[in-house]
Amino acid sequence: MCGIAGRILPGPGRVGDELVKLMHAQRHRGADSTGFALYGEPLDTGYIVRAMVAHRHELSQVLELFLDLLRAHGSDFLADPSWDEATTDHVSVRMVIREPNSLGDWIRQVDEHSDRIEVQSVGRSLEIVKDLGGAIEVAEKHRVHDFIGTHGLGHARMATESEVSPTASHPFWARPFADVAIVHNGQITDYFTWRARLERKGYRFMTGNDSELLAVWISDRMSQGETQDDALIRSLTEIDGVFTFLYSTLDRLGFAKDRWAIKPLVAVIGEQSLSIATEEQAVRTVHLDEIEVVNFDGPSLTRTWQTNVSLDRAA
Amino acid sequence: MNGHEVIVADRPLRECNQDIRDGIDRGLAVRVIDTRSRHNLGIGLPSGARIHFEGSVGYYCGGLNNGASIRVSRNAGWAAGEAMASGDITIDGYAGVSLGASMRGGLIHVKGDAGPRCGVAMKGGDIIVEGKIGYLSGFMAHAGRIIALGGADEACADSLWGGEVWVAGPIASLGVDSKTEEPADDEIQEIETLLATRGLDDASRAWQKIVSAQRLWHFESRDASAWLMI
Repeated sequence: MCGIAGRILPGPGRVGDELVKLMHAQRHRGADSTGFALYGEPLDTGYIVRAMVAHRHELSQVLELFLDLLRAHGSDFLADPSWDEATTDHVSVRMVIREPNSLGDWIRQVDEHSDRIEVQSVGRSLEIVKDLGGAIEVAEKHRVHDFIGTHGLGHARMATESEVSPTASHPFWARPFADVAIVHNGQITDYFTWRARLERKGYRFMTGNDSELLAVWISDRMSQGETQDDALIRSLTEIDGVFTFLYSTLDRLGFAKDRWAIKPLVAVIGEQSLSIATEEQAVRTVHLDEIEVVNFDGPSLTRTWQTNVSLDRAA
Repeated sequence: MNGHEVIVADRPLRECNQDIRDGIDRGLAVRVIDTRSRHNLGIGLPSGARIHFEGSVGYYCGGLNNGASIRVSRNAGWAAGEAMASGDITIDGYAGVSLGASMRGGLIHVKGDAGPRCGVAMKGGDIIVEGKIGYLSGFMAHAGRIIALGGADEACADSLWGGEVWVAGPIASLGVDSKTEEPADDEIQEIETLLATRGLDDASRAWQKIVSAQRLWHFESRDASAWLMI
C-alpha cells in the first residue's frame, strides 16, 4: 500500500517537521519503515553523503576504509563525519566530502563494500534518512524535525515485493545522480526486464526494490536530454504496473501516475509552495483550514513544480 | 438546543463515531465540524439518522449506510457510501474514486464531479452526479443506475454486467462490453421524476442510456476477441 508525500516551501524553513507531520498522518499505510529525502541549503562545493554502516562496532574501521576510497578518487572529508548515537546495530552516518574526480567511478568502488557501508544519498543538498519504524520514531532518531530546507519527500512503507530492512526502505537515491530521490507507492510488473536493460547500460542497484529502478529509469532518460516532464510522461507508456511516484531533484519536484488510476494522490498547490500526499487527511495536517485540494484521481497523469532552492549558489 | 455537535479535529476516530451515535440515539440532528478529511466517519448509520458533515471528509464516509440521511458540505474522499443498503448521501463538492462501490440501495447525489470507478460493482440504488463521472465509471456494476448530468470520462461502463448508466453530455469513450441504447419515453420520464426529487429535472436533456452488451456474460470461443479487449 505505502504512503508518500512531498513538500515545497516558499523558501528555507522547517521542511523536516512538515514532512514528519505528513508521514505521521499516513502511518497506517505502512509501518515497516519510514524515510525522508530532505533538501537543505545547497553547498557551494562538495557533497553531503548519507550512508548506513551495517555494524556499529565496525564504525571506525569502516570510516577509515571510506576515507581511503575518497582519497583514491581525489576527494576527502571536508568536515568530521557525524552519526546517530542510538543502540541499533546499524549506524546512520553523515559526511561532507570534496567532489570525487568522477562520482560514478567512486560510488562504484564504494559499492563493492555495501555489506559494510551502503551510501544512501549523495548531493549538494539532498540528505536521505530512513529506518525501521514509524515517522515519529525515525524522525526523533535522525533529528528530522529540526531539518531546515526548501523541499523534500517522505515515505511510509508496507513492503510487498522485497525485504524489510533499513537500507531497503524508501526514499531511494537515483544512483549515481547527485541530488535525485524518489518515493513510490505501487508495483512495477516489468521490473526485471527494465533492471536488466539498465544494468547493461552500467547502472547498479543496491536492492531488489522496484522503486530504486524507477529513480534510475527517469534519471537515465534525463541524462539523455529529456526534461523531467518528458521523462515522467514517457514512464506512463513504457513502464508497466500500478504506480504513483514522486521524483525530486534540486530544482524540480514532480509525479507520475499510471494509466489504471489505482494509487491515490492529492495536493494543495500554492503560488510558491506545494503539499502533496497519498491521502487528503495528510495534507490537512499542514493545512488545518478547509482549503482547495486538487485530487489527482484520473489515469495517466504527470506534473512537476519548481522548488525554491537558491540555484545561483548551487550552480 | 435541538442539534448535536461533534468536533472531529485530531480526536481518535472511534471516539468521534461514538459521539455521532450518541447524538443519533438521542434523536438529534448531528452536525460534524472540523472534519479535516478524516476517514471512516459516519459508518453503518441507522434509518432516521440525520447528519451533516460541515467540511471535507476522507475515505468511506457514509459506508454501510442503513437508512440515514447524510450530507457532506465539501468534498468526499474515496468510496463514499460504500456498500450502503438504503438512505441518502448528498455531497456538495467532488466525490473521490469508487463512489458508492458495491452499494445495494439508496441514493447518492453529488453536486460536483465524481472520480474514476464511480459505482464500481454496484448492485442496486441510484447515483446522481451533476457534473462528470470519471474514468471507468460503472465498472463491473450488476444493477442500479448511475445518472451523470455533465458527461463521462473514458471507458464509461466498462465490463458492465447489468444496471444502467445514463449520461447527458459528452462521453469520452465507452468501455469494454457496453453499448448505448435509445431510451423509451417512459424510461426518460422515470429518470426525470427521480431527478425532480432533487430539483434537477430538465425535459430538454439529450440522454444516452448505456447498458451491458452481454458478450462477457458467458464465454463463447467465437467471442474470444471481446475477451481479449480486457
